[in-house]
Amino acid sequence: MRNYMLPIVVGLVLGGLVHLTTTLTMPHFALADAFARLERLGPVNTVVLVPNPTPFTATLPRMDPAFATAVCRYDLSRGALRVRVPLSPDYISVSFYTRYGLAYYAINDRAAGRRAIDLQLMTHAQRAALPEDEEITAADRLIVESPSVEGIVYIRAFVRERGVLDAVRARFAEAICAPVS
Amino acid sequence: MRVFIILVAFAVGTLTGLGLTWLASARSNGFGAVQIGAWTAWPKSGTAEADPYARAVFARSGELPLGLADGIAFEATSDDSGMKLDGRCDTRIAGRLPPARFWTITIYDSRGRLIDNAAERYDFNSSEIVWNVDGTVEITLAPRARSGNWLPTGGRDHIVVVLRLYDAPVGLGTRSGETAEMPTITQVRCP
Repeated sequence: MRNYMLPIVVGLVLGGLVHLTTTLTMPHFALADAFARLERLGPVNTVVLVPNPTPFTATLPRMDPAFATAVCRYDLSRGALRVRVPLSPDYISVSFYTRYGLAYYAINDRAAGRRAIDLQLMTHAQRAALPEDEEITAADRLIVESPSVEGIVYIRAFVRERGVLDAVRARFAEAICAPVS
Repeated sequence: MRVFIILVAFAVGTLTGLGLTWLASARSNGFGAVQIGAWTAWPKSGTAEADPYARAVFARSGELPLGLADGIAFEATSDDSGMKLDGRCDTRIAGRLPPARFWTITIYDSRGRLIDNAAERYDFNSSEIVWNVDGTVEITLAPRARSGNWLPTGGRDHIVVVLRLYDAPVGLGTRSGETAEMPTITQVRCP
């Protein structure tokens, strides 16, 4: 019996290490994470509508069926993006996630301007590279710094009554997620 | 013999390690849970400070957590007495809700999908629900139609109720939020 104590203890310690490594690296190896699921909807740096969830088809698990959703998978490697989402009469929010689904910023209609949520999305390096004089005008525009080059802009608009669903979804056509010109 | 012992060590290590990870990521149990009655929320998971467990859970499920600036999601998988929520039973959710700009309450099956039903009713929001005069709400989860606010469960054995409070006061996502008033959950009748 004593012969087995050592390998078991060593095994448990190894197990702890395996657990730590697999947990920490899981976001990098998960095959069906949010980014991968949204990839099927369309290319990067464009706003695409996310189909409303039904019992048989849902782009992501546990979506709130009371919302109309649009998404923009972004890739900042070629430069900053402008994100502009026109407001709807009801609650609307724009949430930012990294490539691995970490929520790092969100803004809703109450915090936005009168007509739209309008901002620029860039990496830390791109912000640092902004020319000095632009920094002054930057004071009156919202800049969101992405901790990663790739990520997800998730736009959701509350649909108070089912009757307005199509109207709310149609407004997403005016949303912009494109390189800063 | 020595080779055998090394093999045992590796086998124990792999099994416990992968087993622990599998268990930890199958249940949404990151740290920093806020628990009120049968309801649990993980406010930290909707922020940049999400812990590795929360990140692993969401990477595996594919869900995007509700950003804390957006709102806060409470989920319940059992009733107030700790009994697992069963879609074959009648379950009553009743009481007052914490202040928020508006809220939605939705039921899902154990894999996070909406539950099919002829009424195409998967959720209620605060403006379409029928309120009691005293400002409380009463919702019945049941496999068959009920009077009042009825959410169909499709007779699934495992169901999850998610209450999302949008634009909720910040305090709700902290420990002190545990004093907030949440509706009670009672399984009334089981076949």
